[in-house]
Amino acid sequence: MKKMMLLVTIGILLLLSACSSGSNTSQASTKDTTGEKQVVTFWHSMSGAGQETLDSIVDDFNNSQDKIQVKAEFQGTYDEALTKFNAVAGTDSSPTMMQTFEIGTKSMINSGNILPIQQFVDKDQYDMSSLEENITKYYSLDGKFYSMPFNSSTPVMYYNKDAFKAAGLNADQAPATYEEVEKAAKAITESNPKMKGFALQAYGWLWEQLLANQGALLLNKDNGRTGTPTSIGWSEEEGKSIFNWVKNMVDDGTFANYGTNGDNMVAGFLAGDVSMFLQSSASARDIIDNAPFEVGIAFLPHPENKERQGVVIGGASLWMMEGKPEAESQAAWEFMKYLQKPEVQAKWHVGTGYFAINPAAYEEKLVKDAWAEKPQLKVTVDQLQSTKPSYATQGALMDMLPEGRKIIESALETVYNGENVDSTYKTTVQQFNDAIQQANKARGN
Amino acid sequence: MSMIAPTIGTNEEAYLSQVERVKRKSRLKSFFKGMLFLLPSIILFSVFVFYPMFQTIYLSFFLTNAQGATTVFVGWENYKALFVDPIFLKSVKNTFLFVFLTVPPTVIISFALAVIANEKLKGIGFFRTIFSSTMGVSVAAASVFWLYLFHPTMGLLNKILEAFGAGGIEWLTDPKWALLAVSMTTIWMNIGFTFLILLGGMQSIDSSLYESADIEGSGYFYKLRRITIPMLSPTFFFVITVSIIHSFQTFGQIDILTKGGPANETNLIVYSIYREAFVNYQFGSASAQAVVLFILILLMTALQFKLGERKVHYQ
Repeated sequence: MKKMMLLVTIGILLLLSACSSGSNTSQASTKDTTGEKQVVTFWHSMSGAGQETLDSIVDDFNNSQDKIQVKAEFQGTYDEALTKFNAVAGTDSSPTMMQTFEIGTKSMINSGNILPIQQFVDKDQYDMSSLEENITKYYSLDGKFYSMPFNSSTPVMYYNKDAFKAAGLNADQAPATYEEVEKAAKAITESNPKMKGFALQAYGWLWEQLLANQGALLLNKDNGRTGTPTSIGWSEEEGKSIFNWVKNMVDDGTFANYGTNGDNMVAGFLAGDVSMFLQSSASARDIIDNAPFEVGIAFLPHPENKERQGVVIGGASLWMMEGKPEAESQAAWEFMKYLQKPEVQAKWHVGTGYFAINPAAYEEKLVKDAWAEKPQLKVTVDQLQSTKPSYATQGALMDMLPEGRKIIESALETVYNGENVDSTYKTTVQQFNDAIQQANKARGN
Repeated sequence: MSMIAPTIGTNEEAYLSQVERVKRKSRLKSFFKGMLFLLPSIILFSVFVFYPMFQTIYLSFFLTNAQGATTVFVGWENYKALFVDPIFLKSVKNTFLFVFLTVPPTVIISFALAVIANEKLKGIGFFRTIFSSTMGVSVAAASVFWLYLFHPTMGLLNKILEAFGAGGIEWLTDPKWALLAVSMTTIWMNIGFTFLILLGGMQSIDSSLYESADIEGSGYFYKLRRITIPMLSPTFFFVITVSIIHSFQTFGQIDILTKGGPANETNLIVYSIYREAFVNYQFGSASAQAVVLFILILLMTALQFKLGERKVHYQ
C-alpha cells in the first residue's frame, strides 16, 4: 500500500511537472525564434489531398523568404478544431491564425478573441476587390472583412459516366433536376441491380445548399444578414421538396444510404455501388484520380418547378487571433497575402478542386493545362460564377448553425430509413426553431 | 467532611477535565495525523473529482456562451427542458437498452471462456492470453478495426454474408442494426477484462471443495453449478457492477462508429452530453445531462448493492 502511494505520488508529480514544462516550452519556442525567424502557428483542418497541397504551399512560402516560418498544424475536422480553439481562446496556447468553416463565422466574431482582417487591409491598402466577388460577399459583413477567405468550394454532383452509358443514358448531359435524377437513378438500378442510383450524405451543409439552389433562406431576417434570426427562413414547400425527393428514391429502391459517413459514400462510388452523389468540389481531384471509370461532374440539382439560383460559398476562411505580439500577427498577414497570389491559388485549385479565390489564377498556365486534361474541374468554377446574387446564395450567419446541421442530419437519416416525411419535417422545424431561440436566449437577448 | 468534599470534587473535576483535554488533544493530533495521510488523496480528489463535480452542478443552472462562460441564470429550466426533450429521452432509453444488450452477453461469454480456460491443459496459457487480449486494445483502435468490418463496400462481415447468398446488411446506417453493431463491438472489447477477472476468481476457489465433490462422485456440471458459480458470486457481483457502469459511460465506440446516428438511434447519454457541450456549445444543458447520468448510475449501483449483495456468498 505504501509503495502504491509512493508510486501514485511520484506519478502525479511527474504529470504536474510534465504539464508545466509543456507550456513552458511552447512559450519558449515562440519567443526564441523571434530573433531570427518569426514563427506563425497555423491551425488547419485539411486532410488528404488538401493537406498535401497545403503543406507544399507552406513549404514554398517558408523557402521564399527568410523572415517568417509558418508552422501548419492539422487540428482535426472543422468542428474539432473549433472546439479546441474555444478551449484555448485568449490564452498563450492559441494559434496565430486558424482556418474555420463558414458557419463558424458568427461564433468566431462573438467569441471576441479575433482581430478583424479589415485592420490589416486598411493599414496595407490591400486590394480585396481582386478576389472572387461571390466569395468576398459571404465574408464581408457590413462592408467589413473579419476573416480572409481561403478555401472555398461548392457542392457538385459526381456521376459515373460508364454506368450512365451502360444504362443507355446520355453521359454528357447529367440530370439537372430532382425529377431527372430520380429517373436516371431508376434506369441505372434497372440496368444493373447491384448498383444504386443516388446517394446523399446526411450532411447539413448539403441541405443548406439544396435550399439555396431553390432560392430559399435558411434563417429569417435575410439569413441573419439584416438582424439576428428568430426562426427558420425556408417555406414548407421548399423544405419538404428535398425530403420528398429522397423519399421517392428510397421507395424506388434506388437510394444508397451511407448515413453521415462521407468516406464510405466515396468508397462506394469508386467501387461501383452507387452511380451519383453530391459532395464538395474540394474532393474532385481525389475522386477523378482514384476512380477506375470516367467521372462526370455536374451542377447541383434543383426541383423542376424552381429555377436554379446557384450555390452558397462553402469552405473556410483564415482568422487572425487577438493578443499576439504585433510582429507575429503581421507575419501571419504576410502569409495570408501570399496565399491569395494567383500562382499559389492556381496550385491550390489544381491540387484540390477548391476554387481559386483570386480569379487571376484561372489565367495561369497550370490551371489551363489541368482544365484541358480534366475539364470536370472547371464545372465547379462555372457553377459559382453562374450563381445569382441574393440573400439565399449569400449564405446564413448565426452561431447555432453547427447545431442546426446536426438536427438536419438526424432528420435526413430518419427519412432514409423510410419514416414519414410530414412528421419528420414537423419535428425538424420545431427542433431547429428551438435551437435558434435557445441560442438567442443564451446570448442574453 | 463538608469542607473536604468540594475540594475533592473540584480536584476530581479538574483531573477529569485534564484527562479530557489530553484526550482531546491526542484525538486532535490523531485526527490531523489521519488527515495528513489522507491529504494526497483529498487533494487529488478535490482537484480532479469534487471541483469538476460542483462546477458541473453549478453550470447546469445557467446558459453559457461558446467558451463555456455563464451568461444567464435559468434555475431548473435546463432540467425541465431535458425531461420533455425527445432526443434526450431517446438517449436514456437507448442507454438502458445498450446496457441490457452488452452486460449479460459479455458476462456469459466471458464466463464460458473462463470455464474452458480454467482447465489444466498443456498450452492453456496461450489461450488465456488470446482470450484476455482484447483488454490491451484501446477503444479507438478496436472501433476503427470494427469500422472496417462493418464497411458497406469492402467490409468483411458483408462479404461473408454475400458468400452465403444473403444480402449485405447496412450495419451502421440501418436503425435496426446500428445499436446491435455497436453492442457487438463493445462486447468484444469488454470480454478481455471480464474474462480475466472471472478466471482469477475461479483460480482462487479452494481446490479441496472440488476434491470432496470428486470423492462423492459428483459430475462436472453439478460441480459447476454447486461450487464454481456460488463461490464466484462476489466476482460476478463486481464484474456486473463495473460492466454496467462502464456501459453507461460508453463514448469512444459511438463517436467513431456512428456519431450517434442513424437518426439518434445510437445516441447514448455520454455521447449526447459530448454533443451538447462541444458541438452545440450548450454547456448548461450538457451539465444538466451529466448530473442526471450521475444520479442514474448512483441509483443503479445502490440498487445493485441492495438486491445483489444478499445473494453474494463471501468466503
